Amino acid sequence: MDILMILFTLLAGITLSAQSSVHGTFSRKAGTIETTFLTMLTGLVFLTIIIIFFGQGNVLRILSAPVWQLSAAFLGTAFLLLSVIAVPRIGVIATNVAVISGQLSISMIIDHFGWFDSLVIPLDWKRLVALLFMIIAIYFIYRGNKRSNMETNS
Amino acid sequence: MRYLAYILAVLAGTALSFESAIYGQLGETIGELETSFYNFFMGTLIMGLLWLFFGKGKLSYTMEAPKWSLLGGILGVVYLTAIVISVPFVGVGITMVTVIIGQLIMSMVIEHFGWLGIQQTKINKEKVFAVISMIIALILIN
Repeated sequence: MDILMILFTLLAGITLSAQSSVHGTFSRKAGTIETTFLTMLTGLVFLTIIIIFFGQGNVLRILSAPVWQLSAAFLGTAFLLLSVIAVPRIGVIATNVAVISGQLSISMIIDHFGWFDSLVIPLDWKRLVALLFMIIAIYFIYRGNKRSNMETNS
Repeated sequence: MRYLAYILAVLAGTALSFESAIYGQLGETIGELETSFYNFFMGTLIMGLLWLFFGKGKLSYTMEAPKWSLLGGILGVVYLTAIVISVPFVGVGITMVTVIIGQLIMSMVIEHFGWLGIQQTKINKEKVFAVISMIIALILIN
């Protein structure tokens, strides 16, 4: 069962990178803001259907949730918008590696200080070395992209 | 200009991280599916406003575009739902690592073959090194 779940989660990663590629292609013709808007709208339509059939929570409780929790919607939108901007300029791999690095670095900081009531996990040497490897990864992607650009131009 | 795109992508990742920490809290009060519904609902409103005031592109291209290129929103929902289902079974740590590995490998495949309308760029050893470094980083964090 666990193996099945892990394969299933792998599929989630695959859909995520497929999504950024589709965005990159669509935004070249339709524009960045238009692409993000369309994605939000189609996602909303789908989730409405899913919620009607499978929703077990209570959407109306949004009205009584603390405002700081609701402000995350701006972050979610910013993420989508920024990644739609980046893909056509630097490619799918570079965008994904940079996004993941930013995500993991901030997660480590959130863990370290225990912000948003999360578990406090201190920043130890293992995590610092991990940070270093992420910087190395971005550097390699940058160099790899530069080289494939030179090869296509020559 | 290219540097800027790298910085924007890193910023996108930091936004995603804050977002998931906060939505984790919201999910406990209103439910996970409801949280992602809320995200897409607010996102549609925000982007709708931005589009009205700053949209310079062509939304009508939606009608002419190949249908597969409209699948972005659905893929996002598949991703979110898969995560919600798998976390209770294998935990957040393994879920995130698996997602990221799937994401990295698929990005390489897409770029290498030029699928989904992405400009084809062959895999070279720098890109393979980068993905290996990311996997080492993931092992160290967990």
